[in-house]
Amino acid sequence: MDLSFITESLYFVKPEIAASASIILLVLLDLIFHKNKTIIPYVALAGIIITGIFVVDQFNISGFAFLSTDNPKYGMIAVDNFGAFFKLIIIISSIFVVAFSAYSDEINKITDRLGEYYALIFGMILGMLVLISASDLILIYLSMELLSLSSYVLAGFTKLRDRSSEASLKYLLYGATSTGMMLFGISILYGLTGSTNLYIISAALQTQSLNLLTLAFSIILIFAGIGYKISSAPFHFWTPDVYEGAPISITAYLSVASKAAGFALLIRFIKTTFVTFVDDNGNWQLLQVFDWESLLIIISLLTMTLGNFTALWQRNLKRMLAYSSIAHAGYLMLGLLVFSNQGLIAILIYFTIYLFMNLGAFFIVMVIANKTGSEDIDDYDGLGFKSSFLGVSLAIFLVSLTGLPPTAGFIGKLYLFIALVDAKMLTVAIIALLNTVVSLYYYIRVLKHMFLTSPTEKTEKIPLNFGQIAVIIIMLIPILLFGVYFSPVVDLAKSYITILGF
Amino acid sequence: MEQSALLTYLILIPFAGSIILFAFKEKHAQLIRWFGLFVSGLAFILSLVIYFSFDAAKPGFQFTHKVLWIDSLNVSYHVGADGISVLLILLTTFITPLTLLSSWKSIQKKVKMFTIMMLFLEVGMLGVFMSLDIFLFYIFWEVMLIPMYFIIGIWGGEQRIYASVKFFIYTMFGSLLMLVAIIWLAVYASEVTGSFTTDLLELYKIGPTIARDTQNWMFLAFLLSFAIKVPLFPLHTWLPDAHVQAPTAGSVILAGVLLKMGTYGMLRFNLPLFPQSAMQYAPFISVLAVIGIIYGALVAMVQTDMKKLVAYSSVSHLGFVVLGIFALTEESIQGAVIQMVNHGLSTGALFLLVGIVYERTHRREISYYGGIAKLVPVYATAMMIASLSSIGLPGLNGFIGEFLILLGSFKSQSLDSWWFVIFGATGVIFAAVYLLWMYERVFFGKVTNPKLESELTDLNKRELLVLIPIFVLIVWIGIYPSTFLNLTEVSTQSILQHVSSFTINLLN
Amino acid sequence: MTSIPLEYYLILSAFMFSVGVTGVLIRRNAIVVFMCIELMLNSANLTLVAFSSFLGNPIGQVFVFFVMTVAAAEAAVGLAIIIAIFRNKLSVNIDEINIFKW
Repeated sequence: MDLSFITESLYFVKPEIAASASIILLVLLDLIFHKNKTIIPYVALAGIIITGIFVVDQFNISGFAFLSTDNPKYGMIAVDNFGAFFKLIIIISSIFVVAFSAYSDEINKITDRLGEYYALIFGMILGMLVLISASDLILIYLSMELLSLSSYVLAGFTKLRDRSSEASLKYLLYGATSTGMMLFGISILYGLTGSTNLYIISAALQTQSLNLLTLAFSIILIFAGIGYKISSAPFHFWTPDVYEGAPISITAYLSVASKAAGFALLIRFIKTTFVTFVDDNGNWQLLQVFDWESLLIIISLLTMTLGNFTALWQRNLKRMLAYSSIAHAGYLMLGLLVFSNQGLIAILIYFTIYLFMNLGAFFIVMVIANKTGSEDIDDYDGLGFKSSFLGVSLAIFLVSLTGLPPTAGFIGKLYLFIALVDAKMLTVAIIALLNTVVSLYYYIRVLKHMFLTSPTEKTEKIPLNFGQIAVIIIMLIPILLFGVYFSPVVDLAKSYITILGF
Repeated sequence: MEQSALLTYLILIPFAGSIILFAFKEKHAQLIRWFGLFVSGLAFILSLVIYFSFDAAKPGFQFTHKVLWIDSLNVSYHVGADGISVLLILLTTFITPLTLLSSWKSIQKKVKMFTIMMLFLEVGMLGVFMSLDIFLFYIFWEVMLIPMYFIIGIWGGEQRIYASVKFFIYTMFGSLLMLVAIIWLAVYASEVTGSFTTDLLELYKIGPTIARDTQNWMFLAFLLSFAIKVPLFPLHTWLPDAHVQAPTAGSVILAGVLLKMGTYGMLRFNLPLFPQSAMQYAPFISVLAVIGIIYGALVAMVQTDMKKLVAYSSVSHLGFVVLGIFALTEESIQGAVIQMVNHGLSTGALFLLVGIVYERTHRREISYYGGIAKLVPVYATAMMIASLSSIGLPGLNGFIGEFLILLGSFKSQSLDSWWFVIFGATGVIFAAVYLLWMYERVFFGKVTNPKLESELTDLNKRELLVLIPIFVLIVWIGIYPSTFLNLTEVSTQSILQHVSSFTINLLN
Repeated sequence: MTSIPLEYYLILSAFMFSVGVTGVLIRRNAIVVFMCIELMLNSANLTLVAFSSFLGNPIGQVFVFFVMTVAAAEAAVGLAIIIAIFRNKLSVNIDEINIFKW
């Protein structure tokens, strides 16, 4: 039997191989160095960087790996620029999260399980990398489960705390239910089209006349699984609890990387399966299974409105950021619902910026919680003057999350709105803007506590070491730089929207 | 020095100053104050250079400086100034050092941050007055919110937090609608000309060609944003809170410059970009303006708090400016521009004066004072001049602005009714009533409160140094307004020509 | 084999799926909820196998093997987490696992 197609495929999955090798290496190292585990974070970092090098290597390469036996034109893994871009986002956020974990007291307290921690992070990385390129329903399901199982455990990593194990259980129950529904949807879709490959399914949908109702039912079930990953309404209920209970470094990771992977999947799924062609202006023509636009508009607006309005009442900063990340998922969906390349560019830009601003905000919350042991907003009183570097940096991240110039968050929103206006969806744009005004209220409430309230005797100066300052500055630079000069991000995004098949 | 880069240098001075200030130590408060004053003084000198090298007889924008900034959106860093801009730039750079000087003693905590915020604010204000690219304009417009939020929120009065949040949310709401309109315009431009553009001079050509009903929506989106800033009745409710709670320096900047950005925006964007809609809505907006004039005056009359009284008088005065702009005649717009400056000077002076007694007694209620003219004669004189200027006494600046506005509105074809003039004029009378009544209660008669004798001291040299330049300008504009009117004449004419070229058939 | 039509399998699996979803929604014991989730997975498995045999296409059956593996892994992780929470709370009742509220 000719196995050359496997070896040829390996060329396309080098990042995934590197990530798998790192898992094995970390587990082994955990066994070997069971006394002193200081080396493990460095190994993890090296593993991520090597994976990252392979990802960068994949830029401008396109092709299928593990070709389908039904139709060897297509394969299970699609390597393209779109995927490479999202993989890079995963890699960058992973590097930050390893750095966060190295400074996180709650993680470092549990020295004996440090090896597991990083191995599980690599489990997530592997899951996300595969999820981003997967073009086969089997692989989508498997990688989604790999990602989910690793993250269930990580969410409950500090299992001796009630809150952490509760977060873990909730995450598990919601996650398993949603993926169960997704699996049922997948099984129906398979039954309708006779294949699990997205490209072949797409061809089947275009040529055969199918029962639209059944098809719509299966798609909605699949969306339940994806919607849960990106925490869009109405599958967002787990988000605040899990984000609040999980260790902060994991919360930050879930809010950026796992959401990015979910979005990449959603976009790839819709684009390869349901888009029939892309016209000259970059507008996508979709199969009329149901009214895609209205469905996504409703989900998107519901997501951001729920996220923003519930965030208003939160007193725990981590929980507030959780709701804010729900709202941001809503904004990101605005880029999808216009179904155009313009919108896709906007999503890529937004994600690049969101990566830095959201991680930055979580990192500072973590540094503060390390010292004060609290994420309550009242404990931030006067912090801006006691620890001015932290205060000013957090202020910049929050202003950027609001989307005010001259920070990069504004640019992200700007491109989303350009895409919306381009698609003549002014009403949606205006509702989204009103949401921004609502979000302004809870973001500036943090500024209010930090700068406008006088310090209480409880407020302490938070000591920072060189590494922490460096991490913050590395995240601040893009936020400030892209706010005034964003051509590089835009150009990057423009050249990375190609999804295989079109 | 290259001419075209002058405006850029002007922005860079306060910006660089605020960055350098970060390096200062908090404990060197005095040094920080002097440095802030030095930087803003430098900006003032540079703006004088700009003023003297500005050729008022030439139409169009001068000192233009254009650098392509974001090529994918075709956004450029494009600045330039016409007569109106130069006048407002001068006002900005003139007021900023004075406010810094006025807060020499009153701001004691976090002096470094305060000075940084004031300089940032100056960057934003200057940027707004000189941007010739709406995207750039929007960035400067929004950038100012944050320093102003902190100025009110950190150094303000008891309810400062409420006031600052209210200010922030109101303005943000308006400006986001403007953002949608800006994007819409740019997208429209890309459909018409084939290339995405946010350049104001390009959009001047494109804007009037938009279909009328869409144009109306765009017009209203811009208008709402500016009207909140002005503030036009009934969107004024944030203003009394912000003014009263802000520290003196904040109130002066707010009244002196920030509110002008709204009226400037109407002149620079609403009229030339959407002339047909402007013409259509002119009567409606003027009605609001006149309601604002009278309402502001009436509410000011019943205030017991001096600062609130001055704050409501702003609503009334800005009503005149809006009326002048939408009367769409040369006199009225000239008057409106000069009235913007007047209001900055006279209301600025009133806020400074209220701030001065507040610094001494920490009370602002009118009833707390009484008969203090005997105790502080110089102060009383200064207050008299400021009040009379605000009332519009002939010979002082207020008269010129209000007279030109009323004259212009009388001749106006777009309003086509002299009811506006009649109601507007009653505003002048009301102004005399509330200011002189306040003056009488505070200054004349016997000293009612014995505590005042020990608390109050007359103006010191620093305070005189702040007030005298303002008074010189008040008298100058009042006696010889041509200096300033000449500056804006050509610019006003060109705006009007632009508007009338598109609306000539609407009038008949 | 051909005697049982495809619809019967589909109806059965739809029924199992509904039971699973209902169970997840109404049962309060974490372990029972978990069993209901397994029921959902198995209903999907049944659909996959039925379709696979109906279409004469082996992919569905291959998929089922993967799903079973994943289900086993999920059960392992799930039970471990339930044990962790039981140690903290001495209960696996979902109503009592309620530190977080709106």
